[in-house]
Amino acid sequence: MTVERVTATLKEVLIEEFEVEEDEIVSGANFFEDLDMDSLDAIDLIVMMDKKLGIDLKAEDAQKIRTIDEFIDLIMTRV
Amino acid sequence: MRRVVITGVGVLSPLGNDMQELQEALVASKSGVVHVESWSEYKDFNTRVCGLVNWDAYKEIPRKSRRSMGRVAIMAAKTMMDAVKDAGLSEEQISNPRTGISFGSTMGSDEALFDSIGTIAKEKTFIGQNSMSFLQFMSHTVAANIAAMFKIRGRNIPACSACTSSSMAIGIGYESIKYGMSDVMFVGGSEEAHPYNAGIFEIMAATSTRYNDTPEQTPRPFDTERDGLVTAEGAGTLVLEEYEAAKARGAKIYGEIIGYATSCDGEHITTPSSAGMEQVMRLALDDAQITPDKVGYINAHATSTPKGDIAESHATYAVFGDKTPISSTKGYMGHLLGGCGVVESIIGLISLKTGLLPANKNLVKVDETCAPLDYLFEHRYGNHDIVMNNNFAFGGINTSLIFKKIEE
Repeated sequence: MTVERVTATLKEVLIEEFEVEEDEIVSGANFFEDLDMDSLDAIDLIVMMDKKLGIDLKAEDAQKIRTIDEFIDLIMTRV
Repeated sequence: MRRVVITGVGVLSPLGNDMQELQEALVASKSGVVHVESWSEYKDFNTRVCGLVNWDAYKEIPRKSRRSMGRVAIMAAKTMMDAVKDAGLSEEQISNPRTGISFGSTMGSDEALFDSIGTIAKEKTFIGQNSMSFLQFMSHTVAANIAAMFKIRGRNIPACSACTSSSMAIGIGYESIKYGMSDVMFVGGSEEAHPYNAGIFEIMAATSTRYNDTPEQTPRPFDTERDGLVTAEGAGTLVLEEYEAAKARGAKIYGEIIGYATSCDGEHITTPSSAGMEQVMRLALDDAQITPDKVGYINAHATSTPKGDIAESHATYAVFGDKTPISSTKGYMGHLLGGCGVVESIIGLISLKTGLLPANKNLVKVDETCAPLDYLFEHRYGNHDIVMNNNFAFGGINTSLIFKKIEE
């Protein structure tokens, strides 16, 4: 699985499920400070990415993510 | 004793999505009941009729508030938005500790329940479940979500008693203000359409199945050709305020709640009790300190089931005799379950405002086992100033509300 595919999937989920504006999805964006998400959103983001990519993400991973870059890095360690 | 008035209204119903639309559709005798072909995917399930709300502008509710709501709470939140705007209350008034809410529904979101529980039961795992499903289908989802969305700080009393949910919520709001616990109460209820709602009634042989191709001809409260109830969806909110405060701020006043009662049959879990229905009407009249002859219109619960309509007609006759105009407005839109009490109360307010005594839609020939009441076969107009709204639920839970036109 490539970084490009993970990035595209994350972008799609953020836009469709969390109604984030496309131009807000930039590499350093913080989920909580910049994208108006919270801890429950983080859990649901993990669940959705897990289903979309078929990777092994756990609910506790939600506590580790802060920015889009960090989250993509985390996913790449699991593929 | 503190007086309680209604200063804001919001409604989503199969007959219209605001009070004016609802009024016009009633006057035009329209039907909100439609044929639902998609229900044919369920085996051995025969009803195909349902009252549906034509509204899905979900994005009017902000995402952070909406994510924990199913359709049942989203519709209620929309009516709350409309009612708050209608009442013209400030944010400070809404979040005052003496402003509370009471909302109910029979079920949380059936759709969320099916999506979530079905998978968990089959696969025996919670992995893959999101954090929002439970918040969408829990019993008090409407009250909880509205409280969070509107930053309610006062009392929150969910009223989840099936078909009396929203009439009970109105009663709770009325008593909260009357007895000094709150100054403002947002009250109402909701239900979303789902084949499950119809299915549970079909198991009990209580749904309409003979009018699937002519949905506008069912349900038929009190009629000899009635064949059961028609489930429906919808929501409504009333803003209740203490009268002197409402008057002081120059609020528009739709009417006053002068009486309310809730009481139990204490008998069968589903079979309606005429004695229980009679009791709750008498208790509400006592609370209002009026005699039965002062009531100019009764909005009956009558759902078009064989037993319920008969029992209610005899209870009503025992209290009122045969001179008080009565109709069940379920013939126009079906049975909104948790939403029926508030929507039918709003119809009562329309009656006070316009004088309309709405006809029993689809009533052609009264079942001869029903008591001899003044059934409205056509619309009439009166100059009455008091109406009663009755609702009855599984568990033998009964409510009766009495509304009065406010003197100018």
